[in-house]
Amino acid sequence: MSQGGSAPAVRFVGKRMLRKEDERLLTGRGTFIDDVIVPGMLHASFVRSNIARGKIERLDADRARALPGVVAVYTAANMRELNVRYVNELFDMPGCPHPDNGLLARADVRFAGDPVAIVIAESRALAEDGAALVEVVYRAEQPVIGIDAAKSSPPIHPEHADNLSNSQSSGDDPQIDAVFAGAAHVVEGTINNCRQAHVPMEPRGLVVWPQGADELTIHIACQSPHFASKHIANVFNLRETQVRVIAKDVGGAFGLKFTSQRDELAVVAAALLLRRPIKWIEDRLENLTVAGQSRDDRMHIRLAFDADHRLLAADIAYDIDFGAYPYAVQVASSLVTPMFPGPYRLPHYRWKASGWYTNTSGLAPYRGPWMLEMFGRETLLDVAARQMGVDPIELRRKNIIGKPDQPFEMKSGIVLTDISPRETMEMTVEAIDVSTFRKQQAAARAEGRYLGLGIANAVEPTTVSFGYFTSDVAHIRIEPSGNVTVMTTNLSQGHGTPTTVAQIVADQLGVAFQDVTVFEGDSARTGFGAGAGGSRQAVAGGGAAIMAAGQLRDKIRRIAAHAFNASPQSVRIEDGVITIDGSPEISSTIAEIAQMAYFNADRLPPGTETGLETHYRYSPPPMVFANATHACICEVDIETGKVSILRWIAGGDCGEVINPAIVEGQIAGGVVQGIAGVLFEHSRYDDDGQPLAVTLKDYLLPTALDVPRIEFRHMCTPSSTPGGFKGVGEGGAMVAPPALVNAIADALAPFGKRWLDMPLSPDRIVMGLEEAV
Amino acid sequence: MSLHFIEFELNGRRIEGSAEARCTLADFLRNDAGCTGTHAGCEHGVCGACTVIVDGEAVRSCLMLAVQANGKRVETIEGLAGEDGTLHPIQQMFREEFALQCGFCTPGFLMTLVSMDRAEPRPEAAEMRAALSGHLCRCTGYQGVLRVVDRLAGKGQ
Amino acid sequence: MKAAPFDYLEAYSADEAVHLMHESGADAAILAGGQTLMPLLALRMATPSVLVDINPAKDMAGITRGDHGIRVGARTRQAAAKRDPVIAQHLPVLTEALTHVGHHQTRSRGTIGGSTALGEPAAELPATAVALGALVELRSKRGTRLVPARDFYIGPYMTVRADDEVLLAVHYPEWAEGTKVIFDEVARRAGDFALVGLVMLLDVRERRIHRAGIAWFGMGPTPVAATAAEAALTGCTISDIDVAELSQIALTEVEPGDDLHATSEYRRKVASRIFKAKLASSLEKVAL
Repeated sequence: MSQGGSAPAVRFVGKRMLRKEDERLLTGRGTFIDDVIVPGMLHASFVRSNIARGKIERLDADRARALPGVVAVYTAANMRELNVRYVNELFDMPGCPHPDNGLLARADVRFAGDPVAIVIAESRALAEDGAALVEVVYRAEQPVIGIDAAKSSPPIHPEHADNLSNSQSSGDDPQIDAVFAGAAHVVEGTINNCRQAHVPMEPRGLVVWPQGADELTIHIACQSPHFASKHIANVFNLRETQVRVIAKDVGGAFGLKFTSQRDELAVVAAALLLRRPIKWIEDRLENLTVAGQSRDDRMHIRLAFDADHRLLAADIAYDIDFGAYPYAVQVASSLVTPMFPGPYRLPHYRWKASGWYTNTSGLAPYRGPWMLEMFGRETLLDVAARQMGVDPIELRRKNIIGKPDQPFEMKSGIVLTDISPRETMEMTVEAIDVSTFRKQQAAARAEGRYLGLGIANAVEPTTVSFGYFTSDVAHIRIEPSGNVTVMTTNLSQGHGTPTTVAQIVADQLGVAFQDVTVFEGDSARTGFGAGAGGSRQAVAGGGAAIMAAGQLRDKIRRIAAHAFNASPQSVRIEDGVITIDGSPEISSTIAEIAQMAYFNADRLPPGTETGLETHYRYSPPPMVFANATHACICEVDIETGKVSILRWIAGGDCGEVINPAIVEGQIAGGVVQGIAGVLFEHSRYDDDGQPLAVTLKDYLLPTALDVPRIEFRHMCTPSSTPGGFKGVGEGGAMVAPPALVNAIADALAPFGKRWLDMPLSPDRIVMGLEEAV
Repeated sequence: MSLHFIEFELNGRRIEGSAEARCTLADFLRNDAGCTGTHAGCEHGVCGACTVIVDGEAVRSCLMLAVQANGKRVETIEGLAGEDGTLHPIQQMFREEFALQCGFCTPGFLMTLVSMDRAEPRPEAAEMRAALSGHLCRCTGYQGVLRVVDRLAGKGQ
Repeated sequence: MKAAPFDYLEAYSADEAVHLMHESGADAAILAGGQTLMPLLALRMATPSVLVDINPAKDMAGITRGDHGIRVGARTRQAAAKRDPVIAQHLPVLTEALTHVGHHQTRSRGTIGGSTALGEPAAELPATAVALGALVELRSKRGTRLVPARDFYIGPYMTVRADDEVLLAVHYPEWAEGTKVIFDEVARRAGDFALVGLVMLLDVRERRIHRAGIAWFGMGPTPVAATAAEAALTGCTISDIDVAELSQIALTEVEPGDDLHATSEYRRKVASRIFKAKLASSLEKVAL
């Protein structure tokens, strides 16, 4: 990138600019997927299996088809008319078999809620009436529920050899066993993360609109229009240029809308068969039980320490229950074992990781899908501290790395740069006044009240950028009026990217913030890009915007220089006004330059392309690291088992911050999801594979009355990317659970139990304390 | 299945239509009255996204039938801002406090707080805060909406 | 989640409600606040062919004092009852219970009669009616009857109300002024149904328990009247009361179940604790 003169003034990046998208969202004028209506649109509803496993003996849709208002009922047999390839090239992991039982179950069902038929009718209510009339007779079979059953049972997918989706290991390490044998301290434990659900406030949905043999417009609540377009094109043997995907406002996703699931693809199939537009909006029952779920993993951990409490070795075995049809989560969970060492020196490390199929809803990646690495590590560090009689913060101090230690190669081979784990930890700890807390804790214990303090350190690999995630593009043009249009491959589902990218571009170009408009969410508008996922948008989309805007700034300077007989280096752009160093009588505007660029070609430097538009496709480094330390002070009521969070400090280093309010919002949202995953949320299945949390009365989300007022502390170690930014979207959700669990365990330390089985519901705490007595 | 004539006041204007008995007020507002700002987050009365104001009180529109709105005064998110587009003071507070991210739950929160803000007598701070239990948000962690209620309750920062 | 089709009828009076229920047969449901019925309809867990809407029935709402105490019309909104000064003065336990019923946004439509008629085992209003010794007024074409709340609930969501009977009102007897009121509920979140709930009224006169009314919610298939504890307390002098022993007796009739949110062991344990704590602190107040 050519600099040409001083770097642009920073006027908007770093400020709490109010969001551009709020005007429409606050006034109820957003366009969420259920707000999209197209002429002649029909509505879909699914017939779903009510058993977890079994053969379909009979399916009779005659009564449904005869219901007035029902236009069609399709089953797997109809899908054969289309050339459907059930593949997911964007996310299928090499060597990982892709279970294929069709978009609608063919001869057997493999989880409760497996779609077996789709009913198309004039309204959603009529489609549901039709679905109620479809008769299905199943021959139920014993379902495989839970990882232990998966390990020992025959395959739930008959085309596979067993229920192992994929497995990797670090291989043999001849030294590690000797290290454990000779270590002064060995600590061992298993952490179990319960199954959870993403529960965005807006469920999934799409409107599929065939507009001729070669044109398919799909409005869909998604995280990346290009991923959706490419995936759908691959599955239905279309070209992506035939599949235009649009998403204007998406009501939260957290990974659930990362990739289209079987039922969404079945809606596309139905629209192609019927050649009519079809809308399907998932209802909340479906969203809780059949949409991708999350977490449901466990880790057995052994840690070895020397006499001075320094980590010598770690040996872990990680298992995850993928459900029957996992979506993209195989790739995401493969980050667990490489990241487990975290920001600590670890001389020896052995690991094994396996994913298993069971007869439950498949998993989809959820806000930091590999978070068990830090959940397991940080909670076991506290267990180790208590076992060895050392303060948990002190234990971390002895083992953590800081800025002077970088670049630092983790035992897993990942090289950490540009992070500040030690420094961030000290910043967070300083905010607590630990010694005063310990006195309060002791006094409270004497009164029979149990306060606890927990901290957790995290390193987060943000901005995943390999394979299909390699790059994002920004197209920027300055209109003849001087206003700026930006089109990026970012997509906000609440992230605020239309605002943050505008802040970046306004700074880079030297124009007013209100003169920049950012468009997202249309696969026809920009080239291929990854959209939201992996905490990437600030770096990838922001980086592309910086680079593209830099190109335009240079062009404006060249044009102005030529027009005013000056050197490009002497051209200043500030608030849309152009001045020349040393020539105070000259004043122009971006608008004037734009007019020149578009309509007065003879005033341009020779050989200059007319207009003011450009694009830049930016490829971030493979990983951009961020780090965080969160601290929690809680009180546990041992009579009722209820946990109150008294204080929460979110310390973090996410590099340069575009908009502190938006960054804090991302962290806060993640923290509350993390808290909920410890205290409230549980997508439980019974032994028959029936989901038990089927409404929001069963699946508990916290309300405003259940959350702490989060205190933020920021450190800034810029990344090496154009803006110095780092990702921040997932960190809060990952580091919050261990901070909270450590606080609860610290509060209950006098009782000597471990608290590693989620959720830590009031029942679990009270009954757990009974066992401890 | 009975079909019913529907007539009520919506954001100050009389609207009419017809609906099946089973059509909820939420669906009628969204599909028949052209007001899609009221969102269906769960359709079983827990999430609060569908909250509107009926005869001055905050209610779950997914738990009312459209026919039950006959003769009533219904206010939705679309009626809050001024004719010239000026945001209602509480909408403006939401913006200033970054109390929304994706915006899906926001109309519900706003209608509850607007109805309480103008209730006579005005509810105490504790009651306003307690009313937040009727709304779920998945994006913000509630930090911004708690600050809005602080402001409404008269606490300065 | 759209309801199955049904016919909708409006009742403009109690008489009309009774008439419509009589005409519509067993497959009709009363639509009161809708806060519970509408979700059941949306989930298609209830598929009545007829809905009789009592919201237009003005004579089914209202709070009056009568022979059996304070008569609260079935269609009285929970929000209105919560604000009502007569209830606050004469039935403070009901005012307290109502602060725990649902949420601000559900109390605006939810009714006293609806919640009382539903018989959700973990709900506040049925247990409050049981603790107070309330009477449930039911009417059909066959006549009117007053059923003690204690006899009204026979199973989870099951009451003695016949299909053609309409719950018209709940009569809450007034207890003596100065009656100690205890209301405690352990719930996962504000507004949730209780994991364990306790309603206790103690009419204390000259340091003796003149009368006790105790009911649990969330502790069995119906609200549970702790009749053994009521009997044990009645007539006792404050100083003679063994709180620990009473907390055992208070659990005589409970049959807590296991569900997604808590086990029966948790419920028993926590119930015992809150009973002990609340009884002890209540007696201390009197002793002072």
